[in-house]
Formats: sequence, C-alpha cells, structure tokens
Amino acid sequence: MLLAYVIATGITTGALYALVAVGLVICYRTTGHINFSHGELFMVGGFLAFTLHVLLGVPYVPSLVLAVLGGGLLGLLSDRLVYRPLISAPATAMVVATVALSFVLRGVARYLWGGQGEYVPFPPIADPSAVMIGPIAVFPQQLVVVASTVLCMALVTLFFRLTRTGKTMKAVAESPRAAYLVGIRVERVYAMTWSLSAALAAVSAVFMAPLTQLTPDIGFGLLLKAFAATILGGLGNMPGAVVGGFVVGIAEAFAAGYISSSVQEVMAFIIIMLVLVLRPTGLFGVKAAREV
Amino acid sequence: MYSGLALVAAVPLVLSPYYVYVANLALVYVILAVGLNIVLGYTGQLAFSNGAIFGIGAYATGLLRLDLGIPYGLALPAGAVVATIAGVLMALPAMRLRGLYLALATIAFAQFTVWVFVHWDGLTHGTSGFVLKPVDFSPLPVTPPTGLLYLSLIITVACVALASNMLRSPIGRAFVAIRESEHAAAALSVNLTRYKVYAYGASALYAGIAGGLFVGAVGAVVPDQFGLFQIVLQFCMVFVGGIGSLWGSVLGAVLIIGIQEGMRDLKQFQEIGFGALLLAVILFFPSGIVGWLKTRVAGWSEPLRHGDRED
Repeated sequence: MLLAYVIATGITTGALYALVAVGLVICYRTTGHINFSHGELFMVGGFLAFTLHVLLGVPYVPSLVLAVLGGGLLGLLSDRLVYRPLISAPATAMVVATVALSFVLRGVARYLWGGQGEYVPFPPIADPSAVMIGPIAVFPQQLVVVASTVLCMALVTLFFRLTRTGKTMKAVAESPRAAYLVGIRVERVYAMTWSLSAALAAVSAVFMAPLTQLTPDIGFGLLLKAFAATILGGLGNMPGAVVGGFVVGIAEAFAAGYISSSVQEVMAFIIIMLVLVLRPTGLFGVKAAREV
Repeated sequence: MYSGLALVAAVPLVLSPYYVYVANLALVYVILAVGLNIVLGYTGQLAFSNGAIFGIGAYATGLLRLDLGIPYGLALPAGAVVATIAGVLMALPAMRLRGLYLALATIAFAQFTVWVFVHWDGLTHGTSGFVLKPVDFSPLPVTPPTGLLYLSLIITVACVALASNMLRSPIGRAFVAIRESEHAAAALSVNLTRYKVYAYGASALYAGIAGGLFVGAVGAVVPDQFGLFQIVLQFCMVFVGGIGSLWGSVLGAVLIIGIQEGMRDLKQFQEIGFGALLLAVILFFPSGIVGWLKTRVAGWSEPLRHGDRED
C-alpha cells in the first residue's frame, strides 16, 4: 500500500512542480533569462492567499483570484524594477539582480508573515478524509490539485495557441528583433511574460499551501525543484518541463517513502547534478531553445 | 594602504575586545570577497558556491580541532586544503557548464552542502553545531582574540598580495580573457579547463582559509552561518566594492561588515537591506565604489578590471 501512497503523493507534488516549472520556462523562453526569484514569487502568492483566506476570511475562490492578480502585479513590478533596466547589461548582472530580489522578497515575507522555520497552516479546500479509488486511498485535496494544475496547463497551452498575446510572446521568443520589426511592442510582451509567469507561480502556491503549509523559506527549495524539472525536460522545452515536474515529484516521494524523509530535500540537487553531468540537453535530447 | 594596515594592527591596543572581533571578521570577509572576485569578477564565472566552500573550510578546521585534537596551527591549513579539494571537485563537473547552468549547479551545491552540515550528525554534530575552546597562543604574550587578529592580518595581507600578483601574471590575463570571450580565449590557446580550475581552486583556497580563520574568531560552528545569506552578503561585498577590482573587494568587505555590525539591532531587516543594496548597486552603480573613486583619484589605474561596457 506504501507504493500506491507514494505514487499518489508523487503525482500531486509533481503536478505542482510542473506548474511552477512551466512559469519558469515561459519566462526563460521569451526573455532568455532564468528568474532566480521565481520561488519567492510563488511564496508571496501563497502568503497573499493565506492573508485573504485565513486572516481576513475571504472565501477560497475570490482569494485565489486576488492572490493570482497580486502575483501577476508582482511579476509586472519585477519586470519594471529589474528586467527592463538590465535588459542590455551582461547576463551576470541579471542573474545576481534576480537573486538579490529574491532576498528582498523573502525578507519582506519574514517581516510580514513570520520568522524562521515557522510554518503557517492553510486549511484544505476539500474534505480532509481519504476516499478509496479501487484499492488506493486518495485525499480529495490531491485530486483537486491534480485536476486544477492540469486545467491550468491546458489553459496555458491554449493561450499560446489561440490568443494574439500568446502568439506575440512566441514571436518574441523566436527573435525579439524580428518581432520588433513587424510591429510587436517587445517591451510590453516582456512585461506580460513576467506577470504571466508570476501569476502561474501564485496559482501553484495557492494549491500547494494546504498540502505543505507556508514558510518564507519555501521559495528557494521550490525554485531548485522547478529548475530540476526544467532541465530534465531540456531548458526551454515546455512539455519537457511538465514531464520533468512529475519525474521530480515522484522521485522525491520515492526517496521519502523508501529511503528517508530528509533525502527528499536533496533529490532536486541530485537530479540537477546528474542531468547536468550526464545529459545536459535533458531527457528528450533536444537542443536547448536558446544558447546561453 | 599602509595606514589601513596600521589602523587594523592598532585596534587591540586602543579599542575593546568587541572591535577586535569585528576587525577580525572584516579581515575574514576580505579574504572571502577577494576569492569570490577572482572567480566572479575576473574569470566571469557565476559561482554561488563560495559560502558553502567557506563552510567546508570552517567545518574541517573546527572538526580537526574538536574531534582529533589537532592544534589550530595545523588544523587551519588542513581545513583550507580540504576546502580547496571540495571546491575543485565541485568545479570539475561545473567545467562543462556555462552561464545559467553553472549558476544553477553552484546554487544547488550550496543548498546541498548546508543539508550535509545539518544531516550528517555523526560527523558534523548536526543542527546545533559545536563550540570550540579559544585558540591558545601561549608562548606569545597575546590574548586569543588579539593573537587571532594579528594572524588574520598577516594571512589577509599575504592573500591580497598573492591575488594581486597572480591577477597581473599570465594566469590573471588568462582569467580575464575567459571572462571577455571564451571562444576568443580558446583561439588564443588559453586552456579553458585548466584556467577555470585554477580560478575555482584559488577561490576555494581563499574561502577555506577564511573558514578556518572564521572558526578561530567566532569559536562556534552552526550550519546556519553558511546558508543562503552568505550569497547576498558576499555578492554585496564584491559588487559594492566594484566587480573585477581587487581593491574594490577589500573595501567592499570592510564596508559591508561595518554596516552589518553597526546595524546589529536591525537583524530582521538584514535580508531586505542587503538584497536591496545589491540590487541598487547593480542597477545604479554597476562599477561600485572603485568606479566612483576612479573618477575622483587622479591616476587611479587598475589593469584588467571590468571594462566600461557595463556602464
């Protein structure tokens, strides 16, 4: 029965990692930069929902929507504050700037919502008792999470396929200069990309909060997990990142179930190192979308 | 420069033990920042692992003293050697990586190292860390803090002088060539792998020495000291001073430690403060203090610095 439990947990967390990783990939593909404060955008989104839902008693769905809007706004702010001024600076400056931003966000969260190592509880959205699907015991919360993340990913895919904004993002990812020449406002596309990516982080935070609870330090570990998922799928490859997310989630669940719960924390590191050393192009062997 | 040395040397004579400790801490971070600048500012490799290597040096020195009873005079160099080996071992797989991938691998390594400090109880004494007896300088007529300060001062001067000479040698020019363009450097027959290993090895050696001196100064080791906050602290030093400038790192380290100690009461705002400072420097003063000094001090020249392309 342990196996079934491990797989169910792995798929649930994997779905969330996949969603965070998709946000990371969207930002990377369009702007060519990895946002090292992505984990903190996730964390702040989670705390926004916590403030609205738990502290202020706003119902779940409106607080989800507001937290996502807040996350998007924060993404917009990061674009204005960090990305846009450094757009022509060396890549080093951009990386270090997003790292610096992550410390600011973490510090602010610690000041507003609690200190070191304190976890903030978040009530589950669904009935907390397990239901049986065949022989496997599953928590309704897990089903809600998996269903909503799959829905989000479908929406993101449709967004890129069908909407004008999504198509301009793809065009900018392909070549910012060519996009500029055909009249796309590249800077505005960058801003939308940042806020979309941050909003996705906030969505996943709201789903994840009831399962893992919140702490200001949650962001960094999550960033590494999303990175692991991203490079497993090949940096910049969106379906790859989704598969990578599930692989990381399931690998963690197995490590926690069969080795030790402390090993779970370093699975992301182990995966990152193995992929970088053995197969830097990721599982599917496609060349990275952009040469770094 | 000599007046600065004299100032540090005079600290134990005129000021209280607290200032001796702060001066010592500042010297430790000068070594760290100079080491980080070799790899980050001169060789252009994004390495977030310096705080972790610093921790490995501190743990190695401390554990050799605590569990094997090795005197500080031997434990310090041995700890530095362990840290250098760890740094080079980490660098070998990292050699194949560039840019974002490298940043990623080193940041993951930093997290992994702290995890090892916390979870390998049998070796590292776990979450609570360990406390050491003060270093004994008994034949010499100095108290432990004063003795450590002079030891740190001598080692810091040696480290800065070594870095200064190395960076002006063919090795330093190879570093800068790699930073400016790996393809061009390779075309000029710079062996990329070898010089990157040199850069990582040098910065790991510096971080290891700093770790050993840090253990002496603080007298206790806990995993938290070597966590993520080290990244923002050390990067602040290098960027505030001026990335790619040796003297910038020296100034930056002293300044940042001064700010940190001066604002002890505002500890809960450290992350926000140093994060915002780092961000502000990158956005508004990309060449740091040294960039400003260059416009004020006539004839200030420092070869092989970061060019003006960032400005």
